[in-house]
Amino acid sequence: MKSTQTIFQDGNHKWVAIVRDPARPSSLIDTNEYLVCNNGEGMLLDPGGVEIFPAVFSALANEFDPSALVSLFASHQDPDIISSLALWLEFNPKMHCYVSWLWSSFIPHFGGTSETFVSIPDEGMEIPLSGLILQAVPAHYLHSSGNFHLYDKFAKTLFSGDVGAALLPAGTDSLFVENFDAHIRHSEGFHRRWMGSNEAKRRWCERVAQMEIDMLCPQHGAIYRGPDVERFINWFDELQVGILRS
Amino acid sequence: MSKPAPNPSRSDDARPSGAGADLLRIVRINEEIKSVVSVAFKINIMAMNAIFLAKRAGNAALGFGVLSNELRVFSHNLRASMEALTKLIHRSVTEVSVLLQDQRFNRLLDSTASQCGDHPRLKKVMDARQRDAELHNEKLSALRRELRLAIESAFQLVELGGVLAKSAKIEAAYGQNFAASLTQVSGEFDGIVEEIRVSLESLRKSAFFSRSSA
Repeated sequence: MKSTQTIFQDGNHKWVAIVRDPARPSSLIDTNEYLVCNNGEGMLLDPGGVEIFPAVFSALANEFDPSALVSLFASHQDPDIISSLALWLEFNPKMHCYVSWLWSSFIPHFGGTSETFVSIPDEGMEIPLSGLILQAVPAHYLHSSGNFHLYDKFAKTLFSGDVGAALLPAGTDSLFVENFDAHIRHSEGFHRRWMGSNEAKRRWCERVAQMEIDMLCPQHGAIYRGPDVERFINWFDELQVGILRS
Repeated sequence: MSKPAPNPSRSDDARPSGAGADLLRIVRINEEIKSVVSVAFKINIMAMNAIFLAKRAGNAALGFGVLSNELRVFSHNLRASMEALTKLIHRSVTEVSVLLQDQRFNRLLDSTASQCGDHPRLKKVMDARQRDAELHNEKLSALRRELRLAIESAFQLVELGGVLAKSAKIEAAYGQNFAASLTQVSGEFDGIVEEIRVSLESLRKSAFFSRSSA
């Protein structure tokens, strides 16, 4: 089973990270899921692949009533992001799934009906959660051609999908980045190969540099916090991406 | 990210079971039926040729003419029977596919329950899925019975076709100058009917029918 850790809390407003499954088969990439809850309603960010559903659900159920999940946010269309969709809908068939318009007819292959999906336009949109307004932030081509991150300006937290991801070696289980220079080595290859456009990367860096961010939460690896957020943005800005190393 | 290479050798444990095995069986039945359908189409053309040949032979092949007309009716009936079988197979494939999907989801939900214990909402979802699975199982059992009956009646039809073909062979011998060509046509007919009979015989024995439920 995965473990949960509350990474932000202010009254009824909370971010919970669902991370690190020791029983995960080695053939599956490790993923982080994030639950944002506000006034008893929850939104799950990148709920994960169908094979890890039991681990995510059971960890989440320890923290939160799964039937109070009102929405899912899929940063993009990959199977490790959203292939568990049909199982989540079993618990609340009225649940909405926010996803780039680009994928709104592809992701239904994982489940759901036309009522399930809310298409996010390229420029992003505001997403309500029981009075809290979250912002879908464009991150196209990083790495998917229709890609969004989710910003919570009250928690000053940015869910950054695959941006900031790191493929950590076994035994590196810390939830937060503890030593940026040591950590970033595990990010470099991932970003060079998975991120396809230097122009898109530059625009993203410019956009998020304007935001107040205390925590940058990727879908794989560890969370950047405090000064490591800016360090990461600067590092990413300098990195040449879209390169296949021979 | 490098992925581990798949193991090319397939162990017994990796063989599909339950709905997966049923799906494989039904796919094989479908392939067999497809081949029978194409042969049944050939029979229709052969029956037409036999009718023309009998007409040319005139009084020398009156009996053969009657039988070739019967063989044409038989080929029509066989095609209709195969079309009904094909429809049943398609419905069965759909039901088995749903069960296969259910099986995967149920495995994941079972694993969820074993990790988080008695979660009331999870229990409700699992109960609802169980009821759905029972309905699908009942539907599949009914289809299984229908399919078995349809194959059985197709088999009996083909047995009749075999008798007709053998009678045509006997009648061909009385065809005087046309005896050789009538014998060839009726022999081919008999061979093809026998081919279909063997196919249907193997379908009757399919393990798909040995399961009372999916």
